[in-house]
Amino acid sequence: MTASCLAVLATGVAGTDRLLAHHSFAMFDTAKRVTLAGTVTAFEWTNPHAYIELDVPDEGGRVKHWSVELGSTSILMQGGWTFKDLKRGDKITLILSPLRSGETGGLLVQVTLPDGRVLGNGPGRGAQP
Amino acid sequence: MSRRTLLVVSLCAVLEVAAVAQTPGALPDLSGVWAPYRGGRGADPSLAPPPASPVVLKPTYAEAYRARRAAEDEATKRGEPLGTAAVLCTPYGMPRMMSVALYPVEILPRLGQITVITEAFSEVRRIYMDQPQLPIGDVPPGYYGHSVGRWEGDTLVVDTVAIKESVLSYQNLPHSDQMRITERIRLVTKDILHDQITIEDPVVLEKPAVYTLAYRRMPNYKMVEFVCENNREYIDEKGAVRMRIREK
Repeated sequence: MTASCLAVLATGVAGTDRLLAHHSFAMFDTAKRVTLAGTVTAFEWTNPHAYIELDVPDEGGRVKHWSVELGSTSILMQGGWTFKDLKRGDKITLILSPLRSGETGGLLVQVTLPDGRVLGNGPGRGAQP
Repeated sequence: MSRRTLLVVSLCAVLEVAAVAQTPGALPDLSGVWAPYRGGRGADPSLAPPPASPVVLKPTYAEAYRARRAAEDEATKRGEPLGTAAVLCTPYGMPRMMSVALYPVEILPRLGQITVITEAFSEVRRIYMDQPQLPIGDVPPGYYGHSVGRWEGDTLVVDTVAIKESVLSYQNLPHSDQMRITERIRLVTKDILHDQITIEDPVVLEKPAVYTLAYRRMPNYKMVEFVCENNREYIDEKGAVRMRIREK
């Protein structure tokens, strides 16, 4: 490889410093927003991600189940969450970016809790407390 | 006071000062929790880390690395991001563990050793102070290798070798068993810390890669536990990251 090729490669690498995270979020369509209203069947305060499991009835009364990914517990706490903010049986409305695969899963954008508070998905991601 | 007593007292005083200089308390206070510092609106630009040096790989490695990054970009555009070991909750190891998203690190100095614990994946590295580095071939390669440190004035200089070749380096760079990581860690202000990291690898890199991480002190922050117990991400047969959906 010539020196000029090396220089081009070098510039390319230096210009794209990638922020490390557990995984890329490109499997979610972050340009899309889906609003869901339903009942929490589980709130898992876990790592590497927390999850909201949600039963969502449609207009015909049929229930679809959704798995909603949140940040890690540390990142959520930095965004104002606590482990007590949701529990099984809570009725909530949330907005998510859906999986591109079409499966009933997505990445949380924001959630409106039963007490009316609106929380995002960590600092700089959606609503702040 | 006799001349002899005065001499003994003076000598004791000198020894005491010397002893204080050797204790962790007399050195720059690195102890505590530090979060990545990325500046932001209104931040003092002098506290920001200097830009990273260009990364220049040896020709043998450059093309494969460029192709991998191009494939990553292409897969990400398709919405099928390529998986890495981190997707499976494998720890990052050195040097990537020192900068993972917004997660803080905790520095615990004690006499003879400085321990660093990261919040992401609860990784632990130990820096042995004022000891000679071991020959690379004498240390079993691992995620954290073998680190020795020494103070040069107000700068903690840490030398790390023996990082396992399967542990990706800075910018997911490949590396050989000859990689050496030198860190120059110093307080820029009382509450801002810089860690200048130099990666040398005579097999893979044409010249050393140098970059600096900045941290801000997090007084009273309690590190959050991070146990990877509910990992629903997996890598499919095409190498793409997927998320498992619960049926109910």
